[in-house]
Amino acid sequence: MRMPLIIDSAVCLRNPADPALVKAWLDQMARHGIAHAVIAPADGYAAVYNEEGNTLLARLARSYPKQLSGLAAVNPWLGPKAVSLLEKAFDDGLKGLFLCPPRQGFRLTESIVDPLLEVCRQRRKPVYAHTGTPICCEPFQLAELARRFPQVIFIMGHAAYPDFWYDVAAALQQTPNLLVETSCQGAAIIQQAIDAVGPERVLFGSGWPRSKPGIEIRKIQSMGLPAATLEKIMHTNAMRCWGITP
Amino acid sequence: MKIIDTHTHLPGLSFGLKPRPASKLRQEFEAEGLTGAWLFTTDGLLGEPARNNDILTETVAEHRDFFAPFCTVNPLDGADAAIRELDRCKSKLGMRGLKLHPWLQAFSMMNPAVEPVLAHAGALGFPVVFHDGTPPYTSSLQIAALAEKVPQTTIVLGHAGLDDLFEDAILACQRHSNIFLCLCGVSCGHIEQIIHRCPPERLLFGSDGGFASQLIELRIDMLRETDASASVLRQIFYANPQRLLPLPV
Repeated sequence: MRMPLIIDSAVCLRNPADPALVKAWLDQMARHGIAHAVIAPADGYAAVYNEEGNTLLARLARSYPKQLSGLAAVNPWLGPKAVSLLEKAFDDGLKGLFLCPPRQGFRLTESIVDPLLEVCRQRRKPVYAHTGTPICCEPFQLAELARRFPQVIFIMGHAAYPDFWYDVAAALQQTPNLLVETSCQGAAIIQQAIDAVGPERVLFGSGWPRSKPGIEIRKIQSMGLPAATLEKIMHTNAMRCWGITP
Repeated sequence: MKIIDTHTHLPGLSFGLKPRPASKLRQEFEAEGLTGAWLFTTDGLLGEPARNNDILTETVAEHRDFFAPFCTVNPLDGADAAIRELDRCKSKLGMRGLKLHPWLQAFSMMNPAVEPVLAHAGALGFPVVFHDGTPPYTSSLQIAALAEKVPQTTIVLGHAGLDDLFEDAILACQRHSNIFLCLCGVSCGHIEQIIHRCPPERLLFGSDGGFASQLIELRIDMLRETDASASVLRQIFYANPQRLLPLPV
């Protein structure tokens, strides 16, 4: 089946200042027909060097406005400084907040993250959270957060891969402001999510560099989805969620 | 390229799967590219291991040239009972390895029955394939701690630590020469790192085939998407499993 326009909602760049790394990713996009990618900070930039990572990603997104958008990472343990860093990152054009509890050292349900989510609520920015790693970022923990902030859109990154597959559909059913991103997780679980809450709440992601675009696109193709469903998952939902027009 | 899959399951009544005869399963596996498969029970990991060992053996009786059937036991039944079942599986059923899933079978690797069971499996020439990568019962280093105590037994980390613990699985494989990593369920980018950092002669292909259609094909593609050389891929897909358990028998 011919793939529609693709927007990738799950990419990490270990170093957005490394031209070789950026080129490698842009090559992947061209090779696999990905029109636009939403890039999150990785590793040290997610955990500690938030401001530097956010600035680099914002600069990268400005250099490739058609192809790339960026997310901001701010460690909630920075307290009041975290709020000002997030405000600055949004002012700089970043599209949402990236939470990575295993790297940032908190549980999704801890209240230290609330001030950041309040900023997201006020600025109407979505929150992408890495999920699937116990004990800090499980599907029901993210659903709990989503219930606490019903006006904020939350995205269940990597669909809780590997071992929380049995919670994905049930967590989605708890609250309508929770979406799921497809990378790494098995096709059967993605199908369960679609069956449970409809295709409007499913976003395609390649999971690069943890996974690879070719594999992830083939996985979605193998599901035999109707064209209208495929279009929603591969781009329409992402355009609405991130506010992007490739 | 010949491919032996070292991590497949007989679809049973659990997990919403659809049971089917070995001829049909073989047909599906061959269509997805396999030359042979190590086959584990699914239902037996949830209870009645002996009955499910019988079912698995009977199911594949006419297809032993393609399937290497693995038994399971539960150390919670006690070391003596588990060892008796291992002996029966070897001598009476002709099974070829042992599959353990401490998460589903609800036992800790530190249960005193585990070590004698693993030692006995090694004495019978059974490779032991573990589910791994899922705390609190199946973290890769918990299994490695037991592998260290039974150096004569081949221990396979059946998911190479999955995405959260693959770094630990790499450490386990580097430290213990009786540990093999099965590249099943770990994501493509992490597979590449494992291949870079572990001895290639102790890496195996696996897919969890039997759980979903096209899973085998997708996971073969995942290995082919890596930067591994053709010779390393040949080792992972065929030479290594064939060295551990020749197929056909």
